[in-house]
Amino acid sequence: MVAGLLVAATLSVADDSVNVSASPADTGERIPLHTVVPKYPESARRARVEGEVEVCFNVDRRGRTHRVSVRRSSNKAFEKPAKNAVRASTYRPLAEGRELSGIKTCRTFRFFLNPVAIEIP
Amino acid sequence: MSNVLTQRLRGLLSIGCLCLAFNLCTAQENKTIIGPSNPDLYNGAEALRAGNAEEGVRLTLRGLQTESDSRDRTTGLSNLCAGYILLKQFDTALSYCNQVLARNDRHWRGYSNRALVYIQLERYPEAEQDLQMAETLAPKSRKVKTVRAMLLDATDPVAPQIVIDDRRQPADDDAN
Repeated sequence: MVAGLLVAATLSVADDSVNVSASPADTGERIPLHTVVPKYPESARRARVEGEVEVCFNVDRRGRTHRVSVRRSSNKAFEKPAKNAVRASTYRPLAEGRELSGIKTCRTFRFFLNPVAIEIP
Repeated sequence: MSNVLTQRLRGLLSIGCLCLAFNLCTAQENKTIIGPSNPDLYNGAEALRAGNAEEGVRLTLRGLQTESDSRDRTTGLSNLCAGYILLKQFDTALSYCNQVLARNDRHWRGYSNRALVYIQLERYPEAEQDLQMAETLAPKSRKVKTVRAMLLDATDPVAPQIVIDDRRQPADDDAN
């Protein structure tokens, strides 16, 4: 069922801005070209809510995502940012002669909050 | 920068307005009059809601000089607390919030606004105490929840992190 871990991008965040600190690995299948990271919903951050969303979608020949849907979600607040991130993400176009597999790709977003230690000078 | 802070504070403030500044005579008096019983208090509240703190405070202070019922007076004092928060005169704001709560110890706006003052003054244990009262009295208030978040951000800040897992797998609707 699971072909392999394709992406494990860890994002370090400061003041709600995100930076990708790891790039995806290639499994030989469709390769992410541009991965958009969702923004942590402010309401969730303020309420100290964490969660996980799994979004599944098709990738067309040109690498664009289609039929984006939430497969599993622990909190509705994270669904829209996760879906929007997938919609804005792209994959490498399929090479000439290769056929679309028709298998959906699923991407899991884990939203969590790390305590910040602040030292008063 | 200052304007941004003022705008943010304005969104958080609990300003009592229409519900308390209007006087509705009962049907028993055989007439119904709808309108502000104290126009200065009413207009002051409207000015505060619009973010015009100086005008709001001026009108509210003037409104409190005229005869008003106890409830209107409490609302006026509460709005002065809010107004002085907008003006970033936190000590003055605190004294008005204290007056509100001395008159009515179940005034959730008073607790919420005073908690905001305490956060600004970095008096976090007192802010916590007031927030607990505000949450008890108005558990569904969005303003109270936002002040709670501000206190958490001040005392227990967090950094959002997002991990992405990509896998190719058949979804349920592909299994045929």
